[in-house]
Amino acid sequence: MFKQFTTRGTEGAQGLRRTIVAGGLAFACASGLAACGGDSGGSGGSSGGSEVKAAAASDPAVKALNDVFGPGGKEAGEGVTINNGMLLAMTGQGAYFGRVMSQGAKLAASQVKAAGGPDFKISIGDHEDGAIQAGVAATRRMISQDKITTLQTSYGAVSEAIIPQIQQAKVLTFQGGGPSPGQVEKDFLWNNRMLFGDAPAPGALTWLAKEHPDAKRLAIVGTSENATNAIKTLVPSVWPKVQDGGTIATTQIHDVGVTDFGSVIAKIKASKADAIWNASFGNDPGYFVKAVRQAGIDIPIILSEFTSDACKVDPKAMSSVHAAADYFDPNSENPLARSFTEAYRAAYKSDPDFYAANYYEQILIVWELVKRVIAEGGDPQDGAALQAALIKDPKFPSLYGGDRSTPGEIVFDPTLHTVTKPMNVLEISGDCVPSPVADITAVGPDADPKTALVSASR
Amino acid sequence: MDATIISPVAAASFELFRQLAVDGVVLGTVYALLGVSFTVIYSTTGIFHFAHGVAYVVAAYVAILAADTLGLPWIAAAVVGIAAAAAIGILVEVGAYRPMRRAGATALGVFITALGISIAVPNLIQILFGPNNKTFVELSPATIELGTVTFTTLDIARVVISWVLIAAVLFALRRTKWGLATAAVRMNRNMAAAVGIDPDRVHVLVFGVGSTLMGIAGILFLLNGNATPTMAASPMLIAFIAAFLGGIGSIGGAAVGGLALGLVTSLSGLWVASDYQPVIAFAALFVLLVIRPQGMFGRRAA
Repeated sequence: MFKQFTTRGTEGAQGLRRTIVAGGLAFACASGLAACGGDSGGSGGSSGGSEVKAAAASDPAVKALNDVFGPGGKEAGEGVTINNGMLLAMTGQGAYFGRVMSQGAKLAASQVKAAGGPDFKISIGDHEDGAIQAGVAATRRMISQDKITTLQTSYGAVSEAIIPQIQQAKVLTFQGGGPSPGQVEKDFLWNNRMLFGDAPAPGALTWLAKEHPDAKRLAIVGTSENATNAIKTLVPSVWPKVQDGGTIATTQIHDVGVTDFGSVIAKIKASKADAIWNASFGNDPGYFVKAVRQAGIDIPIILSEFTSDACKVDPKAMSSVHAAADYFDPNSENPLARSFTEAYRAAYKSDPDFYAANYYEQILIVWELVKRVIAEGGDPQDGAALQAALIKDPKFPSLYGGDRSTPGEIVFDPTLHTVTKPMNVLEISGDCVPSPVADITAVGPDADPKTALVSASR
Repeated sequence: MDATIISPVAAASFELFRQLAVDGVVLGTVYALLGVSFTVIYSTTGIFHFAHGVAYVVAAYVAILAADTLGLPWIAAAVVGIAAAAAIGILVEVGAYRPMRRAGATALGVFITALGISIAVPNLIQILFGPNNKTFVELSPATIELGTVTFTTLDIARVVISWVLIAAVLFALRRTKWGLATAAVRMNRNMAAAVGIDPDRVHVLVFGVGSTLMGIAGILFLLNGNATPTMAASPMLIAFIAAFLGGIGSIGGAAVGGLALGLVTSLSGLWVASDYQPVIAFAALFVLLVIRPQGMFGRRAA
């Protein structure tokens, strides 16, 4: 009866052991390589994420940098090493962000060195998709072992958690991924992206009210990771101001990284909402929109973030919604943006999104600061000196804005440590290409939603 | 009033209740399949197969690979993915657990090994495929409306496929010679060996079956979602909770535990905000284990 299960001998045991050892080594290698959090790069190098081919002085993108930032040489920081840390999600649900952010920074580091600027030595710490303990530990390592002067961080809660560390070690830090109200006005922390949720919300709601005058009952959906103020305070106060008879039908907060929105959608249906304002990020907007449309709900939706990766979850469903967000246009005529996009495409075979653009831009900002500190006779490896130079003149050439002959310009608010960047209402094509349909001309919690928040539709 | 707490009027809404109940059945069915897939292995081998999630993610990525590189139709690619899930489960048993068992490794040692595998495989996949979303097939399931309650044809397919598989496993375990051999090993490994049953082969069988079920769960997710290297993290936890809720070692219990978990999680939306719902799953497990440590259908240890 049990023929199939008769006892076998132990032949082949030695071969099996060899297989196990080999397999174990492979697994160990895999763990070590992908974790990305424990190693630091060599001189001029980097660790974690995709590597980039070293740029040459003759590269068009390098020439474009020299055109905008001036010639290389000692005055431009040549020969100076800047230890630059990056605190990113290299593993977990948000690993996509870590990859594109690190790609942007590495590309910039390579080009700056070729342009005769400083040698950015990039080390990457993995906060494991926003895990505070992991983020704090990685930052401690980068400060104590890698001796970082500058840091590029991401995500809201974890970036708030490391503020005491960067302040104590005087590490000039830029946040290009998930600024939140808790990161505003913090010494050594500078936000290089509009406040997630808060900044685009007044413009988004004004646009929504204008385009859908019959949509009175608004459902608010988002996570509490870094949009709490917008969800609980800003949107409930703005919506009745911009929409006659506007009320909040329901507020639904979900966990980050969920794929099942069943109960959220059941409550939206039960609330009889006419429109949805969403402040989810990562893949969540993709799964949310997909689930809403599959539930047969065809009301207008406006998102606070658009990424091509989230769009892949259901491009057809995503083409039925709009997003109001800061947006990097890969077709921009701005010479800095143009050369960045071309170099990025060549290096990584994909279009850059605003995350890649922000982290690329942050390296350029540090380069500019290094030049200024050297010109003043200061120490370019001193984070405090770099910050002082930033406060003294908070204007920098930018990938955003500008025109065919001139790069854009960003200006940091020296008090709030925030930046103003162009924001748009975007429509999304069936193949996940966003295009602006309106410009948001005033942003933030203090913006008057009644006046000139949104330009006329294009 | 806190806007995240639904109003009493809305809570009383029968409409909302019906939708959440339907969602709970769909969710619970997936949980049941996950719970059964884990219990099939644990109840027979006693191994806390923490690397069970690798079957889920391997099925998804191999299916995508088969569709993209071999040009297979999606159903054939799904079958390839499921076969790969079974293979990886068996490989873990044969390549890791069995030698450790023979070497007299402790349960903790086996658990640590499983933990390592569960970390290494997603990282390896991330190195090979990148962290981006991978799309398998773009199905457009029809939405069915019954009054105000909606669900999709894919939801129906998930429910039917999952319960048919669970029933088939229960039948096979009780009515086939393989199932009886499994029961014999589960009850007394040494005695089973004494009557001519090879426990190692039984282990291979249950790892193959459990991993196949996990792989099918992965493919069912993939039909309405995208693959990412970490996609198995949540389903793996759910599998454990469902298994423990139902009664560790009871396959029928794991199925009921999974269904109950889905219903409780979904229906809790009547009273709590959505971001509190995952807490409900662990709270339910905690309360049940305090009251009834052996789970709903498990037997108390002598």
